[in-house]
Amino acid sequence: MRRTIDIYLRLISVQIRSQMQYRASFLMSLSATALITFLGFGSLAMVFWRFDNIGGWTLWEVGFLYGMVEAAFGTMDLFFSGFNPHIFSRLIRMGTLDQILLRPLSVTLQVLGSSFIMKRLSRISQGALIFVISVAMLDVHWTPAKVAYLPLVFFGLMCFFGGFFVIGSTLTFWTVQPIEVVNIFTYGGREMIAYPMHIYERWMRDFFTYIVPAIFLNYYPALYFLEKPDPFGMPDFAPFLAPVVGVGMLVASFAFWSYGIRHYQSTAT
Amino acid sequence: MAPIIKVENLHKHFKVARHRRGFLGAFRGLVSREYETVRAVDGISFEIGRGELVGYIGPNGAGKSTTIKILAGLLVPTGGTVIVNGRVPWRERKSHVATIGAVFGQRTTLWWDLPVIESLELLQYVYDVPPERFRRNLAEFREMLELDQFLETPVRSLSLGQRMRADLCAAMLHDPMLLFLDEPTIGLDVVAKERIRQFIRRINRERGTTIILTTHDLSDVEKLCERVMIIDHGRLLFDGELSELRNRFGGEREMVVYFDQEYDEVAVDGAEVVSRNGKRVTYRFDGHEITASELIGRISARHRIRDLSVREADIEDLVRKIYEGRLLEAPDAG
Ligand SMILES: Nc1ncnc2c1ncn2[C@@H]1O[C@H](COP(=O)(O)OP(=O)(O)O)[C@@H](O)[C@H]1O
Ligand SMILES: [Mg+2]
Repeated sequence: MRRTIDIYLRLISVQIRSQMQYRASFLMSLSATALITFLGFGSLAMVFWRFDNIGGWTLWEVGFLYGMVEAAFGTMDLFFSGFNPHIFSRLIRMGTLDQILLRPLSVTLQVLGSSFIMKRLSRISQGALIFVISVAMLDVHWTPAKVAYLPLVFFGLMCFFGGFFVIGSTLTFWTVQPIEVVNIFTYGGREMIAYPMHIYERWMRDFFTYIVPAIFLNYYPALYFLEKPDPFGMPDFAPFLAPVVGVGMLVASFAFWSYGIRHYQSTAT
Repeated sequence: MAPIIKVENLHKHFKVARHRRGFLGAFRGLVSREYETVRAVDGISFEIGRGELVGYIGPNGAGKSTTIKILAGLLVPTGGTVIVNGRVPWRERKSHVATIGAVFGQRTTLWWDLPVIESLELLQYVYDVPPERFRRNLAEFREMLELDQFLETPVRSLSLGQRMRADLCAAMLHDPMLLFLDEPTIGLDVVAKERIRQFIRRINRERGTTIILTTHDLSDVEKLCERVMIIDHGRLLFDGELSELRNRFGGEREMVVYFDQEYDEVAVDGAEVVSRNGKRVTYRFDGHEITASELIGRISARHRIRDLSVREADIEDLVRKIYEGRLLEAPDAG
């Protein structure tokens, strides 16, 4: 285990140093991403300036959802850079995956260590900032349980979206090019759960409850943290499903991933 | 002693989608795909002993890389058995690859943006090489491969020859008992080729590393290998000593002659006219029977030669001769 962590850190440090070599472009993309995220939240604030609530939620309540998803997704995006389907498919096309198979290390570990996109940091810090400001403005009633549960929700969100990355990458074993449909779940899902789920049409909400259970990752935990009533009458444990759903998603996606690698080893595109 | 590699009736078939022509074809291709089976490796058996340096040669698309990928544990075969050093490569990938080194043509194992030395140091951890061992090997390979001039250069700025040298060093740092080299001299100039050949020879002699080398350059094997395997269309055509190969099939050469004018009759004893294009005539002759200068003498006795060039047989010629020989010897073989 210690050797695994040691190797992982060494691989990541290679990635960080490579990005530092192109310092100017690195700083530019960092600030560009920051600007885009801010504009995103800025336009949301504009909506509130006119309507003063979304589905009965105030700006800061939505900011709680929004900041949480942005920060968690960004962190996932950073650590799972190698599993980003666009980056991973390049790994296959360039034959780098064969080099990975030639080394006496786990393939998953090496893919995780094959990319670490530092500019995601700007998205993470924007999200964290929006989250912190929102919490400050909201005057949340903190209990020890809530404080303990918050990182678990964050972790659940990371695992959940990481799972989509892994599935999207695994599919490129068959398709070579990444598939857009997966992006609808990954990025579409992220956009959706940044807002209160009760503002959406029934069929859409049902889809993100029973088929892709994203509703349990952000909306239900927010109901718990902000002590809001559940408009859909789910069982009382619904707000606490976030880590379970997230980890379950990731475990299932890694099972698919192992299957994909076996497929790759019998076809080698 | 038990062989280090034992391959029996190895098969690797690829299913490839057949491309249909035109717009309608592309549309039908979406609806129902037709597959074609490519038999990249089609029933190959051989054994390789410890310390051998084997040339695995064949024309493009013969199945060389596919075989090497299976032996290296990257690819799972369709059928047959493979035991390398007591293991089935693809079943125990991690422990298998820890004991082998491999270099695949122009693909590098090194980190693109890192200076060569840092890549090598990283591999020390990847393969868990004891520091003392690592230092000794690195010092030795630096000298053998003359790495010092570009040790601090990022891999992306290396020339092809330099990158191959760095990759060879990387493949040997963990003292593998087996080294797979897939077209290690492809795209290199004569000097770079020679340097790499010297390294391969020394590694084999001094360390006793078993080496399998694929190439479609006959001069690689002629300079390096005692044992040669020739593969074509996924089948083994020849497996034996280089000297035997040379005696049976070697020595064929071609001479292209440019005459001063177009002659009606250009045939000459001891050579066969392969092609004719105005003043340009190509002869094929057997180097065992007649030397190039004898042939030139015979031709120039009758015609005026302006220019000429002599070409050694390449792998395609060799494969063709083997097929021809087979047809003569055993009409029902294959
Ligand atoms: N991943 C693959 N998918 C489909 N066909 C392949 C694949 N790899 C190799 N082939 C086919 O198998 C045959 C042998 O290829 P290869 O082993 O690369 O030959 P060589 O290395 O001798 O040039 C070729 O016809 C090639 O097109
Ligand atoms: Mg090849």
